[in-house]
Amino acid sequence: MSRGGSSSGRRSHLSDLAVLTRSRTLRRALASLVAVSALLPAFGWDWPLAPPRVAATFGTFAKGRVITGLALASDESPVRAADDGELSFSAEEGNSPSGLPMALGTFIVLEHPKSMAAAYSHLAPGSASTSLRKVKSGEIIGKSGGSGWIEGNGILFQVLDRRAGTWVNPLLVLPPLEDDKPPVIRSLALSRADKVFVVGSSPSIPQGTYVISADVTEPVDSAWPSVPLAPFGIRLSIDGVEAARDSFDVARCSGGKIIFFGRPGVDADELRTKEGRYALAERLFTRGRTAIEVGVEDERGNKRASTWTFVVE
Amino acid sequence: MEDTGKKRFAAAGIVAAGIVYFLACATPLPKELVLVPSWARSLAQAPSAPGAREAAGALAPIPFRLGDRYGYFTQDGTVLFSAAQSYGVALAEDAFAPYERLSEGFSILSPEGQVQAKAAIVGYPFFAAGRRFVIAPDQASVSELASSGQATWTYHFPSIVTTFDASPSVAAFGLVDGGIVGLDKAGKAVLDFAPGGSRIAGVYGVAISPDGQLVAAVTGLDKQRLVVMEKRATAYRVAYHRYLSSDFRRVIYMGFTSDGRHLEYESPSGIGVYDRDTRQETIVPVPTGYKLGLTARAGRLLAILSGDGTESRLVCAELPDRRVLDVAFQAKQAFVDTRGDAIFLGADDILERMDLRER
Repeated sequence: MSRGGSSSGRRSHLSDLAVLTRSRTLRRALASLVAVSALLPAFGWDWPLAPPRVAATFGTFAKGRVITGLALASDESPVRAADDGELSFSAEEGNSPSGLPMALGTFIVLEHPKSMAAAYSHLAPGSASTSLRKVKSGEIIGKSGGSGWIEGNGILFQVLDRRAGTWVNPLLVLPPLEDDKPPVIRSLALSRADKVFVVGSSPSIPQGTYVISADVTEPVDSAWPSVPLAPFGIRLSIDGVEAARDSFDVARCSGGKIIFFGRPGVDADELRTKEGRYALAERLFTRGRTAIEVGVEDERGNKRASTWTFVVE
Repeated sequence: MEDTGKKRFAAAGIVAAGIVYFLACATPLPKELVLVPSWARSLAQAPSAPGAREAAGALAPIPFRLGDRYGYFTQDGTVLFSAAQSYGVALAEDAFAPYERLSEGFSILSPEGQVQAKAAIVGYPFFAAGRRFVIAPDQASVSELASSGQATWTYHFPSIVTTFDASPSVAAFGLVDGGIVGLDKAGKAVLDFAPGGSRIAGVYGVAISPDGQLVAAVTGLDKQRLVVMEKRATAYRVAYHRYLSSDFRRVIYMGFTSDGRHLEYESPSGIGVYDRDTRQETIVPVPTGYKLGLTARAGRLLAILSGDGTESRLVCAELPDRRVLDVAFQAKQAFVDTRGDAIFLGADDILERMDLRER
């Protein structure tokens, strides 16, 4: 992934999806996504690290947690304010006065226009410009450095919509990446209890209720330890009928759980099977032949789809 | 003649009033308080790992952290060990847990070095009020561990956790988005409140009284605000609030005394003290130009340690605001704790005990 391109392709692509979708819930979800997308020109944000090298995307599961931001790989580079802003919080790696360890290492939070805040985390220890108050877009606010719990060198960039109380996928407010590689679909699996059937490896499966899960990932060129990175959207169709759609656009927390809007009521902990696949839906399969299609897309609108046909006995 | 009589009468009245005042209203001068050195120990001579020495007596050993070294000592001056931390360590009176930067699990050990539990969980441990917590790498999720080391609950917060305090019954967390969330022993939210009134929301300090009845926080920017909430029936309600002159954009020191009566919080001019019973505030002045480092608040003493990197300063006060000691000393790393009238001071590689005496 590298910098460049425009966001118009993404918006028209999302509008097309909204028109084509028959489900009212999905239409609502997509409509909100289109609304978010339509606001994009209002955000004159720039990348906090240049050139941007995406190491983990919004919604990626890594080491038991879901990433609600964008991890950017870098070696000791200047970190810049993504937009005009004001420092509202800073912390240094180590234990804070309250005794709370700073897992984000050295980090600062800037208040940006339109009730948006951004956290710039895992900065080099001692590099955060904590004496700053007002900052200009592009002003250096620290150095990337891998402080705190982060696997590679770089920073975690998170965007918080204060008014809506949601984490926003930073790719929605940053300049689009020049990216023509669609996400990768590696496998489809059906599981129940402790039994996992990887579709394609066995000619048939017994009838019953299964969790349908897909192993998908976004290809990136970072040198970080590899975890499957979340694409921007995943879609599941069973026998031609759309059964699920997850969009990693925004996430919110409710009742102590992270919820991705793409699938209301499903928290992030339930979005992933223990084998690491995205759990898309639970369905009863009866005897006969079934076709399952999984479609994935990235935020630039690059799409890929795979179809599996199998026999239920 | 008549005038002279009146004057005599007036003079006698004044003298009588003076006598009555001295008898009824006079208070004795406060006794002078002095610190008497008790013992000093060099950490260079202490074992570098736990297990070599055991704590004698019924009193729990006291944990210390001095720069990148940590360990335990007893009130009578036995240093159990002084170890170098590789990345971090969770420290409490009854247990400690060293951890790596990319921690995916850790052992919880007694001060004598016996393994109490092993936890297989990603994140950094932190201990308070006899409870064991782990914060996830995103700093927005917290788990509490059972004595076995297994997570009993995990709570995902809507934004980054900035600060924290715990009582045996409730743990309070402050968030970047200005929210204060209190969780009970089962991980259920018993408090979810966002004080408004400021241009920018945020929580810079949070404290909970040992009985869990009071939660206090310093919140917001422009203007910053002190909010004290009290549990009434089943819900917390704002019992006191005041706008502050401070503009902290980092975590501040904040906590209740062990008896729960006083709240102390960092302010630009020193330590603010809020009295729960009278709802009055006082200030213990700390010299300006110093970075506040650590406060200890056991017994009747409030010990405040500050420093600028080369010189440290210890200010001791009797609550609410009687300053009894103000001393500067050369130390890059310093530590302070109190137990009753004893002050334990660490300076680089020396630990020392001093006792407060009246003279």
